[in-house]
Amino acid sequence: MTMEYFAGVSDALRMTFVQVMILATLSIMIFLYGMYINLKKWGLGAEGYGQEVSNGNLFTFIKTLAYQMSAKGHGHGQSVLVTLVLDILLQRRILRRSPVRWFMHITIFIGWMALFVMSLLMFLVELIYMAGIHVDPEAFRELLSMPNDLFSYILMTGVVIAIIRRLFMAKAREATIAYDSVLLGGLTIIMITGFVADGIRNGTLWGLGMHNELAPPAALFHVVVSLLFCIAYIPYSKYIHMIAAPLALLANKGGE
Amino acid sequence: MTRNEPSINTKNLTAVQLMELDSCTRCGECVEWCPTYDASNKDPGLAPRDKILRWRQYMNKSYGLRARLFGPQKIPEEEIEQFKDDVYKCTTCGMCGTVCESGINTIELWEAMRANLVKRGNGPYGKQGMFVKLIGEYLNPYMADPKDRLSWIPDDVKIADKADILYFGGCTAELRQQKLAFATARVLNHLGIEFTMMGEDEVCCCSALIRTGQYEIEDIAREAARKNVDGIKARGATKVLYACAGCYRTSLVDWPRLLGEEMPFEIIHIAEFLEGLIKEGKLEWEKPFDNKVITYHDPCHMGRHVGVYDAPRFVIENIPGLNFVEMDRIRENQRCCGAGGGVKAGVPDLALGVAETRVQDALATKPDILSSACPFCKRNLSDGRDSLGLTPNEMEVEDLIVLTAEALGISLADCEDQAN
Repeated sequence: MTMEYFAGVSDALRMTFVQVMILATLSIMIFLYGMYINLKKWGLGAEGYGQEVSNGNLFTFIKTLAYQMSAKGHGHGQSVLVTLVLDILLQRRILRRSPVRWFMHITIFIGWMALFVMSLLMFLVELIYMAGIHVDPEAFRELLSMPNDLFSYILMTGVVIAIIRRLFMAKAREATIAYDSVLLGGLTIIMITGFVADGIRNGTLWGLGMHNELAPPAALFHVVVSLLFCIAYIPYSKYIHMIAAPLALLANKGGE
Repeated sequence: MTRNEPSINTKNLTAVQLMELDSCTRCGECVEWCPTYDASNKDPGLAPRDKILRWRQYMNKSYGLRARLFGPQKIPEEEIEQFKDDVYKCTTCGMCGTVCESGINTIELWEAMRANLVKRGNGPYGKQGMFVKLIGEYLNPYMADPKDRLSWIPDDVKIADKADILYFGGCTAELRQQKLAFATARVLNHLGIEFTMMGEDEVCCCSALIRTGQYEIEDIAREAARKNVDGIKARGATKVLYACAGCYRTSLVDWPRLLGEEMPFEIIHIAEFLEGLIKEGKLEWEKPFDNKVITYHDPCHMGRHVGVYDAPRFVIENIPGLNFVEMDRIRENQRCCGAGGGVKAGVPDLALGVAETRVQDALATKPDILSSACPFCKRNLSDGRDSLGLTPNEMEVEDLIVLTAEALGISLADCEDQAN
């Protein structure tokens, strides 16, 4: 069975749904292995202050997190809900320190998450379609077209600010190390390949005048890069902060 | 081929703390606000962000993907030794944690790293190593005879054998800055509040050992906490008053952890106690100050560590004749005095550098008095003032309880602080 709608990948490249699924599965497996290593690494710590360290048990971290979240705070504790909404979703702690950096980060966060969720939804719709249930993937894709554009530009706004900061603000530039650059570089590549792939398919400015025939390989490249950076590479890079920072905020009741 | 052993271990670090290393986004806020980084002419090694990065790299070299596949990567001993130096050049003031966008509990993280490095044989730093011997042998860090804890008590001060309220004097107030202990005891007497003290049964709270990562050595800190808690219980106290922010924090946070039990008494800083009494209308100010400008320095151990900001301000604002002016950096954004975390003992030049900056913060408000609620802050801020070439007449550095005593008309003329 060919897959016409999935991220623009079509038979023209002899790419099948199965091949993309294999790639996605591989990415998820790399991600899971990375998280396994991280959980084992974190699990080498103790379950509480002054206690003996664990031997890398997978559940040590979860138990410690749960214990710390429920422990009494001194002077600065807040509910999980407040932490979740104000500190994790609205990123209040960044706003307190720098409104510009908050704007940069929140646009990247919103753009990234929205595009990720929409890609996931599209993927699910296609799965349902392939299972023989009557849904219309094409109509769904059109439905997502406008929000897709909107969130892509929101993401781009944040990424552009981040690049400008890293290039032209002496303090940020001098403090930048490969660990930071890889994150921003990956994000930039995903964003540009997404815009170009979409531009070629729809014949817009972002297509850079390339022929429509190049739409499938461009889309494929975007898919591959996105899967690698959005999923597989997370546990091995600065992308891990997307998981660890919210956990730290929860563990410390929103921080001091 | 045999694989290397990991160069570091995870002793004293919790699983959550190991995760926190990965949560750092390297935003750099901690670097902007760190008082020791600032006072060290921006030594990059002292930047909190850099310390987190290095320990994360050590963890990954020892236990990450590459280590799993090819064996741990060796970390040169000199590198770890340098890391130790940098971790100890920190007052554990917690400013980095306050501004951390990921909410990392940095105070606990630095202390855990220190404890780890002590066990590994790298820590502590310089003279901090003496704390174990001094507190272990003399039960205080000043090499004083425990009997000296009572020597300051003037004849007029009445201390009950048992009472509902116990004043935990602390080593610095009882053995060095006795004016503070005088003032506290006389204020309580003046207000007709019966209290008891532990006298020579009192043992160092062990803040210095805990802050410098040495609390597990010979179990001194745990035993000291046990003795203190038992001593307090034996005197029938249900409320324990502290005029030392360091002892207060240690009793509130560290003793329950060391002993694995809740404290069977209420732990109150004298500023909180006075706030309550003022609200009840129990204080009659007999000797107002002569229109003095005063500013207040939040001790880290009382402010950022446990969140007591309002009580000392309430007391100051209620003392007649004092015009309270806030510094720019106050409350959770306060700049450390530089004495904490063992820095005063281990890296005195750095402690002085931080103190000078804090005194300059105060001077911007043109105060007659720079007050605080911690004898250690008072000592280091006084040193900072002296180092800047100012005299006590130009700016007095004084503890809140001493100012309270003076405003209540209590004479402290018969008390002199000991030499350092």
